[in-house]
Amino acid sequence: MKTLIVIPAFNEQESIANLTKEITEYGYDYLIINDCSTDNTPRILDENHFNHLDLPVNLGLAGVTRAGFMYAHDNNYECVICIDGDGQHPPVFMSSLIQEVENGYDYVVGSRFVDKKKPFSMRMIGSRLLCLLIKLKTGKTVTDPTSGMRALGRKVIEKFDESMNFYAEPDAMCYLLHNGFSVKEVQVDMKERETGVSYFANPFKSVYYMLCEILSIVFIQ
Amino acid sequence: MSTSLRIGLLLASLGVFGVIIASVIKKKLNIRYSIVWLLWALLSLVMAVFPETFYAISDFLGIQLPVNTVFLIMTALLYALTFYVYIMISKHNEEIIKLTYEVATLKKELDELKQKKNEE
Repeated sequence: MKTLIVIPAFNEQESIANLTKEITEYGYDYLIINDCSTDNTPRILDENHFNHLDLPVNLGLAGVTRAGFMYAHDNNYECVICIDGDGQHPPVFMSSLIQEVENGYDYVVGSRFVDKKKPFSMRMIGSRLLCLLIKLKTGKTVTDPTSGMRALGRKVIEKFDESMNFYAEPDAMCYLLHNGFSVKEVQVDMKERETGVSYFANPFKSVYYMLCEILSIVFIQ
Repeated sequence: MSTSLRIGLLLASLGVFGVIIASVIKKKLNIRYSIVWLLWALLSLVMAVFPETFYAISDFLGIQLPVNTVFLIMTALLYALTFYVYIMISKHNEEIIKLTYEVATLKKELDELKQKKNEE
């Protein structure tokens, strides 16, 4: 199956080279999308001749993944895997995601909590709330709605490529469940972020994110 | 509505007319978008010249002071206009993502071609 690994990169100079080398070892096509990094990331990408796009303006994560889906669509990829550029998602688990797409699933999510128990941190309480809302809306159980490691089949690539309202993972997943796409969760392990600062370090952004997701799940998707 | 308020509205609407027309002539404002602002100025002009219309509306809505009707209508129009601007922003956002993707792809292809040429 023709598979593309999309790696959004914004100031990931410490991790991007190792991550890319690891992915090349598995033999998959990949595309790094540099979202106007201000550190050495662009230089590393050029010097190593990694397959990458340099965006001329900063689009943010949602815009970057959109660009990745457009690239996949233009180049006729049958499957896209999104992986974070900071090395949180170990490439080891890519093959199990691709396997499920080959088995006919439209959307496969790498979940941390299929077989494992969810801890009780602030962030996981948010995650539980989203799970509950998705359950109420679609009747289906999900374990890790915010996971950014996911594999998309061709139908979903086309959907995400053209629509502006699949900003974040939870409501996109809710839309797919609600509209009859087949969705599967696969157990993966994620590493703690080693470098860089999380978007959710800012409490206002966390609240804003949750509000957007709740509204989107309840009223729109 | 007091006479001074009417004079104020009249002067303001004439001023707004002037600024809009000047902006269009100086090519600062697209003529398509100027229409909505011209209609706005026209509305204030009507308010200043024929306040009776607003007395009638105030009576109908049960608003005691006609000046509050002026505020109400202006606020509603502002809401509508702001909403329109948000729709335009969303549209432009989409266009920017598509253009950014196109530019980035073209740049990538150009770099690859240059590299190929250098190797030859």
